[in-house]
Amino acid sequence: MATVSMGRMRRTRSWLRRNAVSYVMLLPFAGLFAGFLIWPLANSLYLSFTDFDGVSPPKLTGLENFRRLFAEDDRFRHALSNTGTYVAATVVLGTLLSLGLALAFRGSSWSHRVMRTIFFLPSVTSTIAIMLIWKWIFDPNDFGLANTVIRWFGHSTAIEWLATPGLSVPILVLMAVWGGMGYGMVIFVAGLNSIPEEYYEAARIDGASTWQQFRRITLPLLRPVTTYVVVTSLIAAFQIFEAVYIVFRTNANTIGGVLDSGLMIVPYLYDIGFTHFQLGYASAIAWVLFVIIFVISLVNLRIGRAFKEL
Amino acid sequence: MAAPSVISPGAVDGVDGMHGAAARPRARSARGGRPGRTARLLRLPFYLLAVTMIIPFYWMVITVFKPFQEITRQPPSFVPANPRLTSFYDPAWTPAQPDPAHTSGLLQRFPQVSLGFWRFMINSLVITTSITVLALLVCSLAGYVIAKHRIPGRRVIFIVIIASMMVPWQTTLIPNYVIMRNLGWLSTYQGYIVPAIAKAFVVFFLVQYLHSIPNELIHAARVDGAGEWRIWWRIVLPLLRPALAAMSIFIVLAEWNNFLWPLIIVQSDGMANIPVALARMNSYYVGAQSQGAIMAGALLASLPTIVFFLIFQRHFTRGIVLSGLKG
Repeated sequence: MATVSMGRMRRTRSWLRRNAVSYVMLLPFAGLFAGFLIWPLANSLYLSFTDFDGVSPPKLTGLENFRRLFAEDDRFRHALSNTGTYVAATVVLGTLLSLGLALAFRGSSWSHRVMRTIFFLPSVTSTIAIMLIWKWIFDPNDFGLANTVIRWFGHSTAIEWLATPGLSVPILVLMAVWGGMGYGMVIFVAGLNSIPEEYYEAARIDGASTWQQFRRITLPLLRPVTTYVVVTSLIAAFQIFEAVYIVFRTNANTIGGVLDSGLMIVPYLYDIGFTHFQLGYASAIAWVLFVIIFVISLVNLRIGRAFKEL
Repeated sequence: MAAPSVISPGAVDGVDGMHGAAARPRARSARGGRPGRTARLLRLPFYLLAVTMIIPFYWMVITVFKPFQEITRQPPSFVPANPRLTSFYDPAWTPAQPDPAHTSGLLQRFPQVSLGFWRFMINSLVITTSITVLALLVCSLAGYVIAKHRIPGRRVIFIVIIASMMVPWQTTLIPNYVIMRNLGWLSTYQGYIVPAIAKAFVVFFLVQYLHSIPNELIHAARVDGAGEWRIWWRIVLPLLRPALAAMSIFIVLAEWNNFLWPLIIVQSDGMANIPVALARMNSYYVGAQSQGAIMAGALLASLPTIVFFLIFQRHFTRGIVLSGLKG
């Protein structure tokens, strides 16, 4: 008996000695990861079922927050539908333009590289800086750049771009597509250049036209890359915040523009959580966002796996 | 979220222009021969689009160099008629006597903060550097253990890390804010830095990269009697250098431009980073006469990353393609 437990002890001790250092090395990451990601995630799920206001201890209210969100809250419904329109337009336009740019400037010549650099520039520039520039471009005065441009085309009265509800989402889409095209382009260029040239040569010998080559070789082989670009831009688009916060800000305490015409999910979450301090209710919004993005990611995984099996 | 395996590493060279030969034949017409006129014609709208890419940047730069009366001139000038640096500093402006002919420059704003706008540049620099260094150290340790140590539970840990990349981080915003408040870390450097160190994506990327490094190197060091810490510092980190370079680019970019988290945890004026300071200017100073100073701030905010990008351009595109991540 004694020898058995001695052996077990020795085994445990040597196991410890072997693995202890590994766990110690893992610890800084694991601790921070658990403390600032896993626990907050669980905590925000809990808070979404409470009336937490940041001061008094949270009281459980069951599904009340979610009921209110979907049954009563017109601002939230507005934010959801705005986000939906914005995401659809941004992703479709952005992906098409990225692909077009990649096809146009995929080469290694000097001019193509300069063009890629130009289109990629917004991706490395501070979003806040870019949004401040856009706000200044859409200045309502006569001397605003946008108003100057429409004057060249014969429209003599200045437009209050940012105070016209019908223009809010289109302006947000314009800014997002302008800023995001270059990023998609870089990924598409890499995808295009990984397609073996022999395929095109064979197709040309068989007499395939440029369009047929594009339709029958490029598009199918590019599909995983396209999926990837679409999914990452979907996820990024759902999280829009800075554009709304900066461009549609008129004074210190408003968000979302005139009549909430530019209100989106994350700005609304910010407004409820950090302007109105309804932290429980804001957590419910956060979890709606979580579900949307998690589902998109899962669909992506599923599609990716399906492609690998093909 | 990330699926680096989608794109073969060979594709990267194409971005950098080493597979240029592969690209050229596509630009020709179907019948071969001269570069197709159609191809050039199809490209024309994209050149026009490139002009629209430049215009906002150009508009920012010329606004900065206009004296403020010229900023509100109608019609606007497209080349500054008499370029001035008053958007940064107007020596004729005094806080005591408001003079309609002058407005304060960027560096004269934020009088309540010592060093004014420079303070925010320093804050951003300190925060970005600390997070980058600490994240690379902590994440490379974890990545090394997960990739090269056969410890129980490592698969589970790795799956949790991958799954967490599908989580929009805004979901953790509110509890993290409460944690910062309870720790007394609002408006502090540690409030910026500590929650930003454990980056799941960096670990994921480094683990993928480490799989391509043969175990023999590490075994040999172990046989020679090197401890695990020593192996990490002397062997793994040097081998990881290209991966660490790619990751540091993304971390620097993301942290320099980080906005929502700082916006929430910064309550004292002096602890803002550049984006938050700019956003404050945006809400304090409505009206065109401040646009010179605001554009000057936008210029100072974007110039470092743009220069950084132009210098390390190859690494940027390679990193993006390998990781498929925007900072």
